[in-house]
Formats: sequence, structure tokens, C-alpha cells
Amino acid sequence: MSSTVYHDFQYASPSHQAETAAVGMWLFLATEVLFFGGLLLSWIYARHFNQLGFDAGAHETKLWIGTLNTGILITSSFVYALGLAFIRVGNVRRLIQCCVVTLLLGLVFLALKFGLEWRNDFANHLFPAASDFKIIGAAQGGAKLFFLFYFIATGLHGVHMLVGVGLLLWIIWRAQRRQFCALYHTPVHAVGLYWSFVDIVWLTLYPLIYLVGSR
Amino acid sequence: MSAQIWPLLRCWLLLLLLGGIEIALSYLPLGRALRPLLMIPAGLMIIAVAVGFMEIRRGSVLMRAFALGALFWLLILLGLGSADPLTRTDYPVSGVQVK
Repeated sequence: MSSTVYHDFQYASPSHQAETAAVGMWLFLATEVLFFGGLLLSWIYARHFNQLGFDAGAHETKLWIGTLNTGILITSSFVYALGLAFIRVGNVRRLIQCCVVTLLLGLVFLALKFGLEWRNDFANHLFPAASDFKIIGAAQGGAKLFFLFYFIATGLHGVHMLVGVGLLLWIIWRAQRRQFCALYHTPVHAVGLYWSFVDIVWLTLYPLIYLVGSR
Repeated sequence: MSAQIWPLLRCWLLLLLLGGIEIALSYLPLGRALRPLLMIPAGLMIIAVAVGFMEIRRGSVLMRAFALGALFWLLILLGLGSADPLTRTDYPVSGVQVK
């Protein structure tokens, strides 16, 4: 990219365009907060009336996978933030490296969540619609509600992760074509906001799924 | 460059520390009603991500207004939505078998 940074006609300057993009991303994230807020409310409501079943369900989750995935996502957000810091001083090579590491961490998260944890859950008869659901007795109804929340919440989060992976690939592709520099890196910033938000969603889901149920 | 990296590194280490505290607290013998308090470290971690990685303090006033607006409407949603289940009292009705 040349040292001249262009901006679209409706903006007064490149910084005005960059700020508008960031504000737009925050507005989108605000809608996402309310999207996941409904899910959080359903958890509060369902757990309040089914504490026994929710605890029984939480006992069946794999804490080590959830904890490892939490560390992975935190680290991925950190590495991406490093990439943003590097492009601010014009270091495209380091940006690409950081994006690749972030991408790999995201893929490891998805592999652990869907390739290992979900597969184990299905094998252990924890799918709420299964006729041979593992948890029986008084806790069964609540435990089914817990796993309904679990599959919907982690599934929706996984879809957001997949979108994030696609956005990371797009950033890497553009960075390799030298479309970012110290003066123009607005998409890098916007994607970073999205990736950190996906991290925040997981930081909310992790204690709800793995920790609040008595261990 | 290191001046930009150190705050990020500190934030990452803080998040790992808070994560460790969160797990340690989950092993405390808290009653069922108190266990949602385990969300407090998670809330601090969310603030750390918003400040450290999303740079909310460096953003424009409008950007911060959107972020605070999201939080405000989330509190409205959760506050009003959970007011009923958390305050409801189920009185026994004579002659009716409660399941």
C-alpha cells in the first residue's frame, strides 16, 4: 500500500472513516450483547426452578476441556492484540504471524469443543432429546434443560468462532497483499473487536456451564 | 514497541490470574443459592478484556456510549426478566397436589 491513505467521499478524513468503522462494530456488538443476553436470562430462569437438575448436568461436563479452552481463547485475544500493536508501527510480517497464531488457537478451541467434548457428550447420552438420557430420576428434567442450554449456547458461540476464523483468514489474505500499513489498518482493529467479543461471550459461558454447578 | 506490548502482557497475565481464582473459588463449599457469585471473577475478566484488548478507554465518546448502552440494556433485560422468577413465592393451594 502506498503512503497515501485514501478515504471514501462521505468521510472528512481517514481517521474519521476509521472511527466510524469502530463505532459501527461496537453498535453491532451491542446487538450481540442483547442476543446472548436472552440466552443468559433463560439460564437464570431455568436454573432458578431446576437447581438440582442443573447441578447434576454440570457434574457431567468436562471441566478440564472448558478450562483449557478458556486459556486458549484468552491467549488468542492477547496474540491478536499484539498483531494490532505491530501493524500500528507498520510491521506487516508480525501482524500476519500473530493472525496465524490466533487462527490456530481458534481452530484448537473448535477441535476441543466439537471434535472432543461434544462427541463425548453424545457418546455419554447427554443429548437432551435422547431416549436413553444418562441422568434419571428427579434431576432428569432440569438436567435436560441444562444440556439444552449447553448445546445451544456452545453451538451459537461456535458459529461466532467460525465467523471469526473466516475474518482472520480475510485479514491474513489482505495483509499478505500489503493492504495494511501503519496509517491504514481499520479492518484489523474491527476484527480484533469482534474476536475479543467472542472471547467475552466464552468468559460468560464458562462459569455458567462448568463452575456454578456444585463440584 | 515494548511500551505497547507490556500493557497487553499485563492484561493477559491478569486474565490468567483471575481465571485461576475463579476455578479455585468454585471448589469452595458455597450453597446453591450463592454459587452464581462465581460470576464475579468472570465479570472482572470481561472488564479486563474490554479495557486491555478492546481499548475501550481509547475510543471516541460515541463508541463508549454504544458499549455502555449495551451494558445498560443488558441490565434492563436481565433485571426485569429475572425479577419474576427470583421474587415469586409459590403458596400452597389446599386440595391441589404440587408436583
